Amino acid sequence: MMRYMALAVVVVLFALLPLPIVIVAISSLTQTGYFTVPLPDFSLHWYAEFFTSAIWIRLLFVSAGIAILVALVSTCLAMMAAMVIHRYRFTGSSAFEALIMLPLVFPNAALGVAFLGLLSLLGVSGSYLGIGLAHCLITLPFAYRPILNSLRKLDPALIEAGQSLGATPAHVLRTVTLPIIRPGLITAFIFCFIVSFDEATVTIFLIGPQATTLPIRILTEIQESASPVIAAISTFLVVITLAIILVLERTVGLELFAEPEKQN
Amino acid sequence: MTQNRNLLWLVPPGFMIALFLIGVSYLVVESLRQGSGFGLENFSAFFQRADYVRVLYRTIWISCVVTVCCAILGYPLAFAISRYRGNRNFLMMLVIMPWLVSIVVRTYGWVVILGPRGSLNSILLHLGLIERPLRMIFNQTGVVIGLVHVFIPFFIISVLTVLLYRDATLEEASQTLGAGPVRTFWNVTAPLSLPGVLTGMILVYLLSSGAIVTPLLLGGVRDGMLSTQIYQDVLQVFDYPKAASMAMILLLVSFVVIIPFQILERHVATRVSGRGHG
Repeated sequence: MMRYMALAVVVVLFALLPLPIVIVAISSLTQTGYFTVPLPDFSLHWYAEFFTSAIWIRLLFVSAGIAILVALVSTCLAMMAAMVIHRYRFTGSSAFEALIMLPLVFPNAALGVAFLGLLSLLGVSGSYLGIGLAHCLITLPFAYRPILNSLRKLDPALIEAGQSLGATPAHVLRTVTLPIIRPGLITAFIFCFIVSFDEATVTIFLIGPQATTLPIRILTEIQESASPVIAAISTFLVVITLAIILVLERTVGLELFAEPEKQN
Repeated sequence: MTQNRNLLWLVPPGFMIALFLIGVSYLVVESLRQGSGFGLENFSAFFQRADYVRVLYRTIWISCVVTVCCAILGYPLAFAISRYRGNRNFLMMLVIMPWLVSIVVRTYGWVVILGPRGSLNSILLHLGLIERPLRMIFNQTGVVIGLVHVFIPFFIISVLTVLLYRDATLEEASQTLGAGPVRTFWNVTAPLSLPGVLTGMILVYLLSSGAIVTPLLLGGVRDGMLSTQIYQDVLQVFDYPKAASMAMILLLVSFVVIIPFQILERHVATRVSGRGHG
């Protein structure tokens, strides 16, 4: 009896996880844009409004563009750091590692205020360049972890074998290291893309009259008008995220998300 | 020689770290600025305002409630995933998927469900259980529900990381020695997963205290948190030293709560693994 009750509780909790997203998806397909009882008539009206709106589409491309650039930069930087730190344990290497992970222990609102100051120091506040830079700083730890995890699976004997057979370091990197850590790189890239594309808590402090992102625009739209077109946009974003995760799962698996931290 | 040359690869990531440190130092310095000199005036001004102190208390309170709720609701889920014998990937997707969907979208979901014109109210009205819509958001309840949902995946993943990679032979040993499943859970599994629980709780507390989207959308005007207060102040008058001092207070508040937790976590991890961190 207890067993079944526990099972029922767990099933309900699991069902609650995707519930808000499911409700938004159903709402987006109704005439009123709200999932109510009795269910309003089916309509694709809100999708039509979204896809024909120049403002929304522009923001969609802006946010995707920022996210791709940020993911590229962060993945490259994280790869440099991870490869050196993994290979050479030097004085201060664990301090360097801790500094990379540092942004993770700051409350987001505090990060937002800190970046607001930094961007005005650099003279790029309220611009896409500033937002991109802040996103790079935030995503770096997300890229570092999966790359380091995949490097740990790399057998050092393979590199030695390559080198002793006369390959140059660059050749070994291209033919041995990179193919083996590819899952880590892909996970890092996708992780950074999603974090940057969805980021709102820090970005909200950094936008300017000339530069805003899709999540921030959705946020202000919910506050100001609560137009049901938001349900359509949200559903669209969810479908994209779902597609990305499915691709990730098929190609490299999801294990790199929940890898134990090895203590050494 | 080659090692020294290879260390040059650390320069680009090091540059990013330097930028980050400059940003944080600037925050610290500016929070101490008063007029042309430096002092603690921004901080004393904060604590002299009763409304700000209430916001501070509320921030700590809400973050604690959210952390406890995530632990109570999240642990059974993590445990269920770790024990599930079928296709675990499906359950993992259920956890990871909402985690990767924008906070804005997930919070909007709760507006649609719990709002005055929302789904739950419409269902209850339709069934005749209530006569007028219940007020479920734009108050602290709404903020807590939203934050728990938004941050629970972080807790589940933390616990799962420990549960999935634990040594299953210890549980077998316990059962072989005659302990029932309940005793095995309390004496073996629960203590082994404690480091994951503590890590998860630290994460959730940190994320809740710094959250801004969910309290902004689900909280009422009178139920602001420190982060939303900072945001509103920055929007109204751009007073960077004031904003910086409030951000510093937020930072200190989270560290004051987290550091004892982290010490506890180290301690527990050392005891559980039977060896220290090397």
